[in-house]
Amino acid sequence: MSEEKEETPEEQQPLVVQKAQEKYSDAILEVSDARGELTIVVRKDVIHGLMEFLKNSPELVYDYLVDVTAVDYSLMEDVLTKYDYARFMVVYHLYSHKNRARLRVKVPVHEKELHIPSMASLWRAANWLERETYDMFGITFDNHPDLRRILMPDDYEGHPLRKDYPLRGRGERESFNFERQNA
Amino acid sequence: MGLESKLGDNIFTTTVDKFVNWGRKNSLWPMPFGTACCAIEMMAALASKFDLSRFGAEVIRFSPRQSDLLIVSGRISLKMMPVLKKIYDQMPEPKWVISMGACASSGGVFDTYTLIQGVDQFIPVDVYIPGCPPRPEDLIDAVIHIQQIVDQESVSKKRMEKRAIAGSRG
Ligand code: SF4
Repeated sequence: MSEEKEETPEEQQPLVVQKAQEKYSDAILEVSDARGELTIVVRKDVIHGLMEFLKNSPELVYDYLVDVTAVDYSLMEDVLTKYDYARFMVVYHLYSHKNRARLRVKVPVHEKELHIPSMASLWRAANWLERETYDMFGITFDNHPDLRRILMPDDYEGHPLRKDYPLRGRGERESFNFERQNA
Repeated sequence: MGLESKLGDNIFTTTVDKFVNWGRKNSLWPMPFGTACCAIEMMAALASKFDLSRFGAEVIRFSPRQSDLLIVSGRISLKMMPVLKKIYDQMPEPKWVISMGACASSGGVFDTYTLIQGVDQFIPVDVYIPGCPPRPEDLIDAVIHIQQIVDQESVSKKRMEKRAIAGSRG
């Protein structure tokens, strides 16, 4: 039992990297493994194709999209320099039920081109997760079926999880129109 | 007293206020507005171990139109405040409000862009409960406080006076 559990990720995780590198060799910017957490950093132009491949490849079958989020690296100089001053990284967490393997895919996104293909056509879970990422970071997802704010009120201005957004807000607590909002 | 002696043993005289308040305070119908962790303590207070029904306040209504005690237990965000306000407005008079826990009363540790720093900016609060979260006993204590408040009110006095002062932003 324990043998089986330890073998599966060790066999599988390099396999996914091999396969991905076979297909998208130059687009894989970095592969890292921190205590069994496999992370690959990928160029933006291949992300949709790569995700489709990860999901549909009969060996890999990353059939479950656990999470979509983003990170604002604007205060972390070392990461910024590494990825050509891309301010944001969009982060996908995938899980393969078949192989019981997890994978994290990160995509650097520049502030000038603040958009990335939507994964909603591959995993329906991406719909709301991408809306949240849009709401919190202002990253737009191309071909998303319904890209609206999901957590903040519709007429809210700004994207509060950005590092330059003040914790106490920009006076929304005082100026928010509580009458106009239809409860 | 002259009149009572003529009515015999089975009839008492009292004031309307006392009689109505006696009925109201021993049969509070709470409207739970549980949005966060405090609500778990509220549930505990209502369940068998702490048993809020000992104080006549166990008839939890999820319809504001049937309740007279609003228990705000949890964080209220910008987006939730209009909902809470509407629920409060839907409750028929007379009504009372408990603001349970640090978050509902002051925002608590969440001094952030989206959190209402105290629901009393928008709706009048009768009793605040400190704590994060307050224990069920604290909620019971607050209900007893509400009972004392109910006891001092008068059916004729305009309750609106109080409302006007408290809900100034709402
Ligand atoms: S006061 Fe504490 S327990 Fe209550 S809602 Fe806030 S964080 Fe949760």
